Amino acid sequence: MSTRKIITLVEETVTEGGRPVEPAARVAVVAAIIANPWAGQGFVEDLNPGIEATASEVGALLAARVVDALGAPVEAYGKAAIVGLDGEIEHGSALIHTLKFGDHFRKAASATTLLPAVEKRGPAGVVFDIPLKHITDATIRSHHQSIELRLADAPHPGEIVIALAAAAQGRPQQRLAPLSTEQ
Amino acid sequence: MTTVSPRLPEKAGIRKIVHYQEEILLENGQAPAVPVVRATVAAVVSNPWVGTGPETDLAPATEQLAPTLARVLTDRLLESLGGAQQVEAFGKAAIVGTAGEIEHAGALIHTPYFGNLVREFLEGSSIICFADDRAEAGQALVVPMWHKTVAATRSHYQTITTRVSDGPRADEIVVVVAASTGPRPHPRIGDRVTDPAVTSTILEGASA
Repeated sequence: MSTRKIITLVEETVTEGGRPVEPAARVAVVAAIIANPWAGQGFVEDLNPGIEATASEVGALLAARVVDALGAPVEAYGKAAIVGLDGEIEHGSALIHTLKFGDHFRKAASATTLLPAVEKRGPAGVVFDIPLKHITDATIRSHHQSIELRLADAPHPGEIVIALAAAAQGRPQQRLAPLSTEQ
Repeated sequence: MTTVSPRLPEKAGIRKIVHYQEEILLENGQAPAVPVVRATVAAVVSNPWVGTGPETDLAPATEQLAPTLARVLTDRLLESLGGAQQVEAFGKAAIVGTAGEIEHAGALIHTPYFGNLVREFLEGSSIICFADDRAEAGQALVVPMWHKTVAATRSHYQTITTRVSDGPRADEIVVVVAASTGPRPHPRIGDRVTDPAVTSTILEGASA
């Protein structure tokens, strides 16, 4: 795996709706900007060798870092693959939609649910949102949330941005009735 | 590092704090000789002067707000970069929302109540270089940095992009401190001590 940059973003929401959030709501993202393993190879039918070479390594790197950056137990999580303009969306999906990638984060966060994801292709500086859901019960409505990112010079056409997001709580000022009240 | 109250940000009128950090592992395909971490911390605060005219004295609110902002922002930078001794370059910035005056952005970063404290906390001596702008929420701003004690050190001229996805609102100001633990990835454009004397005479004989 060839990694050009590692980005960490932490948002602390101190007030929301004009009221204090106590403790401040924390959401963290760690992103690796890596070379697209299939860049310049034309249409590659079998993506497995590239997945084997990359998915677990980048998953382990990001999982440890995002848990550390959050600095609190993870309650909600999500993932992202943003493919540079010369690649296929399938390349990004290949790296994040495998247990080899996500199990590192599930283990580090003591999580059980599938990671919600964004897969997108765009130029360097493209804006993207990572969806997050609760780590053990994806129906817990209070924890449905997303975080927005824009990396100034990534992804280049032959790169992929792979990211993990973690939240220490649900939405600030969350106050919606649970799903069960409508069933 | 001084321990501060976890509610200090709220007392300073801060809605949100966004900490961005990047490590450059490869530049032009090669690892930098000096591994560098670069970071910005941005705080979104209410603009205390919204609705006031250009004759308004900005000093009272500046003296109240700016020192706390300097403390909150540099605390987070120092925690993530490993202390002031790790910081080699610094910069600052402000983005005022569209209901504010560009002078409001300057008021929070260009006085000793902010600049002197940032310099002290990051253990620098240089003037702190800066960028400021008025913009809608989500506008990116490129923040310049230079060496914290020898500003003319050319290897340390660098920039970092800061952005808050939902700030500033029209009546808010985003205030930013930026720092780097080292130079650009592959600095090789000389320095003042190695430069030849260059004047416009080098253009003599050049065709227009």
